[in-house]
Amino acid sequence: MALSKRRIYVAGIALQLFLVITVSSRDTFWLLSKSKTVFPESSKKFWQGAEQITSTALAQGLPRSNPVRQILTGYVNLSGIEVGYGFFAPNVSNSYKLVFELHFPDRRVEYELPRVSNSASALRVAGLVDTIGRTHSEALRQTIITMLADAVWREHADAIAIRAIFGSVILPSAAEFAHGKRESYEFLYAYDFAVSDNPTERSTP
Amino acid sequence: MKRLAVWQERLIDFCFPAESDTWLAVLRIGLGLEIILYALSLRYDWNYLLAGTGYGLISRNLGEAILSLESRLVPTLDWLVTLGAHVGLHEETVLTVAWIFLVAAGSALLLGVGSRFAAILVWFLHLCAAKSGGFVSYGIDNFMTIGLFYLMLSPLPDRYSVDWRLRKSRSRDPQLLGFWRRVLQLHLCVIYFFSGLTKCLGSGWWDGSSVWRALIRPPFNVINPEVLVSWKYLFPVAGILVCLLEIGYPFFIWHNKTRKIWLIGICAMHVGIGLTMGMYLFAFIMIVLNVSAFACRSDPHRASNASSWSFRKWAHKSAGTEHSFQYVLLSAQMPLLLSTTATIALRIRSTKG
Repeated sequence: MALSKRRIYVAGIALQLFLVITVSSRDTFWLLSKSKTVFPESSKKFWQGAEQITSTALAQGLPRSNPVRQILTGYVNLSGIEVGYGFFAPNVSNSYKLVFELHFPDRRVEYELPRVSNSASALRVAGLVDTIGRTHSEALRQTIITMLADAVWREHADAIAIRAIFGSVILPSAAEFAHGKRESYEFLYAYDFAVSDNPTERSTP
Repeated sequence: MKRLAVWQERLIDFCFPAESDTWLAVLRIGLGLEIILYALSLRYDWNYLLAGTGYGLISRNLGEAILSLESRLVPTLDWLVTLGAHVGLHEETVLTVAWIFLVAAGSALLLGVGSRFAAILVWFLHLCAAKSGGFVSYGIDNFMTIGLFYLMLSPLPDRYSVDWRLRKSRSRDPQLLGFWRRVLQLHLCVIYFFSGLTKCLGSGWWDGSSVWRALIRPPFNVINPEVLVSWKYLFPVAGILVCLLEIGYPFFIWHNKTRKIWLIGICAMHVGIGLTMGMYLFAFIMIVLNVSAFACRSDPHRASNASSWSFRKWAHKSAGTEHSFQYVLLSAQMPLLLSTTATIALRIRSTKG
C-alpha cells in the first residue's frame, strides 16, 4: 500500500479515536457532575465545565441545523460511538417499576405490567422504564406512559379507566437482606386515564 | 526533523501490522451468529416494539422524531416504511420483511456468502431497528453497531467464507487486514478503560455493594438472592477484580506475557455477566469482539499461502509454532463461544410464550 494512502488511513483512525475518546470523556464528566463519586461535591462545577468543553468539541454547541453538527452526529450514530461506556457506574442505581391498575365496569380491579414475550425483550422494556425514571422532561415521561397505557388498554378493551403507577425499586444491601429486609417501592408518579382521554390527572408524592 | 520522521514511521508500522484474516473470520462468523440470535430473540416482539402507530408498545415515531432533531443522516425504519408505502406495502409488512432480510443477511454473513453485501445490509437493517427503537435499545445495540461498522469496512471476504471457495475473490492485503484489526483493538481499549474508570470512581465497586445490586436488580435478578447472599464476602473481591480487569485492559492486553491472562479474565467476566444476569447476547458480542481483536494468531505468510479449507487442519499445522499461544487461546475461546450460543438458544426456546 502506498505511503500516501497509509497516511489517509492513519488520519482516519486518529479521527475515529478522537471521537470515541471525546464521547467517552463527555459521558464520564456528565456522570461525575451528576453522581455521587469519590470526588467532593464541590468538584461538580468543574466536571460540568469539562463536559461543556467536550460537548463543544463534538459540535453540540452549534445550532441543530448546522451541517457540521448534523454530519458529525450522523457519523457517530452510524459507527455506534454516540454514547460512552459507563455501564453500572459509578454505582448501580435503583431500578424503576411501572404498574397499570385497570378498572372495569363491574368494579373489578386488575394489575398489569408492560408485557413482552421473552426475557430478551424484557431487558429492553426495563431500559425503557429506566428512561422514564431518569428523564427530567415531564412531557416525555407523560408521552411514554400514555403510549404504554394505550398498549395495555388494547389488551383490555373493556376497562373503563387505567391508573399508571410509577415508582422506584429500593434495593436492600446484602446485610439488610440477610436480616430479612426485602426490596421496597417508593411511589413517584401516578397518571389516570379514562376512556378516550389524555391523562386526566397526575399525582406525585 | 529526523526524530519526527522516525516517530511517523513507527506510527505507520503500528497501524499497519501484517495480519492473517483469521480474526476477520471470527468477527464475521461471530457477528453473523449474533445477528441471527438477536433477530430470533425478538421474533415475537419485533413488530410490537418497532411499530409506528396503532399496535405497538411504544410508537417508534417518538424516538425517530427526537433522533431527526439531532441528525437526519441516521437511517431509521421510517425510511423503509416510506419506501414500502410507495409500492403499496403496509407498515406491518415492511417490518416483517425487514426482519426476514435481517435473518437472511445474518445467515449469509455467517456462511460468508456475498460477505461484503451481507455485512452492509446487516449493519444497515440493525442500525435502522436500533435507532427507530431508541427507547428500547441498550448497550448491546451499540456494540453490535461498532462490530458491524468495522466488519463492513474490513477487507472481506476471509478465507473461511463460501465466497473464498466459490468465487476465488482474494482481495486481501495483510497490512490492510492489520489496520482494521488495530482499529478494533484500540477501540476496545478505550471502551474498557472508560468502563473501568467510571466504576473505580464510585465506592460501590470497591466494597462489593455494586456487584450485589447489579445481581439483584430487576430484570437482571436471574439468581435467587437467598443463594447470592451466602456469597456476600466474595462481592468486594469480584467488584475490585472487575475494576482492575477493565481499567488494566489497555495496559496489559498488548504485552505477550499478560495478554492471555487479561483476555481470559475479560471473557470469563462476560460469561459471568451472561450467566448471572441473563445478558447472553451482550456477553456473546463482547466475547466475539475480544476474541477477534486479541485472540487470533497473526500469520500473514500463512494467509498468503493458505489453500486449506479445514479449520482443524490449520489448527493442527499451527500447533507448536511460535504462535501456538494464540492458537491455544483461540481454542479455549471456541467452547466459550459455543456454550454461550447454546445457552442463548436454550434461553430463547425456554422463554417462548
